[in-house]
Amino acid sequence: MFPRFHQTHHLLLATALMAMTGSYAEGQIPRAANGKPNLQGIWKATARAAYDLQDHAATLDMPAGKGVVVGGQIPYQPAAAAKKLQNYNNRKTADPVRSCFFPGVPRIMYMDFPFQVFQTPEHVAITFEWNLVHRLIYTDGKPAMHPSESWMGDSRGHWEGDTLVVKVTDVNDKTWFDMAGDFHSGALVVTERFTMLDADTIRYEAEIQDDKTYTKPWKISVPIIRQKDADRLYEYLCQAEVEEANGAFERDPITWYPPVGTPTKTPAFPAGAAQSVALPEPKTDPSFPRTADGKPNLTGYFQSDSGTANQGLEKHAKIEFTPATRGIVVDPSDRLLPYQPWARKDRDERAKPYRGYDDPTAHCYVAGVPRSMYVPSPFQILQPPGYIVILHERMAWRIIPLDGRKHISDSVRLWQGDSVGHWEGDVLVVETTNFNGKTWLNEFGDFVSHAEKVAERFIPVDSKKILYRATVSDPIVYSRPWTIEMPLNRENEELLEVACHEDNGDLQHLKDVRDDYRAKIKKETAK
Amino acid sequence: MRFRNLATLAASLAFAAGTLLAHHSFTAEFDQNKPVKFTGKVIEMNWANPHAWICVEVMTDGKPVKWSLETGAANALIRRGWKRNDLPSGTVIVVDGWQARNGSNTANVNTVTFQDGRKLFAGSSNQALPTK
Repeated sequence: MFPRFHQTHHLLLATALMAMTGSYAEGQIPRAANGKPNLQGIWKATARAAYDLQDHAATLDMPAGKGVVVGGQIPYQPAAAAKKLQNYNNRKTADPVRSCFFPGVPRIMYMDFPFQVFQTPEHVAITFEWNLVHRLIYTDGKPAMHPSESWMGDSRGHWEGDTLVVKVTDVNDKTWFDMAGDFHSGALVVTERFTMLDADTIRYEAEIQDDKTYTKPWKISVPIIRQKDADRLYEYLCQAEVEEANGAFERDPITWYPPVGTPTKTPAFPAGAAQSVALPEPKTDPSFPRTADGKPNLTGYFQSDSGTANQGLEKHAKIEFTPATRGIVVDPSDRLLPYQPWARKDRDERAKPYRGYDDPTAHCYVAGVPRSMYVPSPFQILQPPGYIVILHERMAWRIIPLDGRKHISDSVRLWQGDSVGHWEGDVLVVETTNFNGKTWLNEFGDFVSHAEKVAERFIPVDSKKILYRATVSDPIVYSRPWTIEMPLNRENEELLEVACHEDNGDLQHLKDVRDDYRAKIKKETAK
Repeated sequence: MRFRNLATLAASLAFAAGTLLAHHSFTAEFDQNKPVKFTGKVIEMNWANPHAWICVEVMTDGKPVKWSLETGAANALIRRGWKRNDLPSGTVIVVDGWQARNGSNTANVNTVTFQDGRKLFAGSSNQALPTK
């Protein structure tokens, strides 16, 4: 006999099946468990709005396109119209996105890169492939914080019938709307409306209010299309690509994934190498919140208590301006990283001042795994259906699908790696591979290579705490796997924005130190 | 001078130092053999992340010279209730810290002292510092 399902189970099952197969009748849209339209998925705008919001002819690197401004023209005040023309003429250098600065809203929504939407009753999160930018839209009714201006603004959403309405406030005056120099002032308020027209199309509208720049409010309307052939986002780290291309960020011949056309081999630990030790795990306290399906609910704002691991994974005393560290290595039992001898020497060299420039986070690139979890910057965990999503305040994200999928092709290498997760009882287990080998583990020179594989365990302890463990296997750099451990503490806070690259006042100083060192070595060698 | 706010700033900057919001090695950027100490007038504070910067004007041999002082992260200050215009330009401060290795007029701040003697520990030098 078949088990009897409650009617809503049938409905949910049918909805889930339709979401997977995309087999919706015309006009039908997917719905979340709470009945709201389900925006979750991978999307991209196909209009040419990123080039120019208004009707435009083609120029070099800018295809022609139909405008998306309702009514055709942006109602600039006379002085602003002159400024827009100036922006247009200087666009190849003056466009903030040419400098890899945050695009702001609405521009990020119609750039030529896909984005993924995650939806819970309290949040709609949008993760963008471009530069690993994210937006966290609160739909829980909490008011905007108004803490300070930012590039991406403060987003608060609510549902009006089947339309998600998002008000974006507290923006700075530094972003443009397109490559054609359309701009705004810091008085800008954007009201976005996301309406699903069918299962695969969102009508995205943004009303632009800024009485310092325009004679009246105006609106754009852009179709956003589901990317049916995509099952995940990749990465485009704008500034890293610029600096790799112009030589400002140099390839490490050992740690980086080999360049195109170079044969790769799969490294392995030598036979007889020690295995990682399975450590006992605490039981989950009944106070730990749970989702409707009974899983631990990891949702929240967290800060890790890493004992300044970003300045050293092993325990050490204060060295000049580098603070003392607690040491979070728990396996091997001597609590030291099991470096191969050459790699220990290399680590010590990387800790020297002239190598400070080579740490990717000094360039504001993303931190990789597990470093993203202990850079001194908070993060928000979200638990939408089928995923764990981690949004890092120092702008970056991790998307962890829980649907049992396989890792991506070995030749696709990423800064944050490719993560897949599953539950083992109450423990979230995440396996991450496909690293590019460009990241360091901290400012003290601890490092990994592209051979790195990470097995993380998020162990729910009590309502305020997750115990985090990460076992790193990297046979290029280490003689055996090793494990770190630290608490992740849940706090009642909201994420702010870190505009690191946009405000990086340190990199030139670090470059000077490196260049001075190189000049000195060159001089000594010439003697 | 806004005493309440400046007192809060003192606590906040110390907090920022304690939470170690660095994104680069301070040992790599600054030179512990180049301690600096001077009195300057605040030109502006740049509320940036991962480090906020205080720009000050220091009279040197009768001429005004600009210095950039690196502190903790703006977000740490904002979480303690600070607003962008809370360190007004014109505030006179006594600064001690360490100069950048490249010899530019840039310093990693250890302490900032107001004219009335109260200390403001801005130190982003990766040490947890007391608030008093």
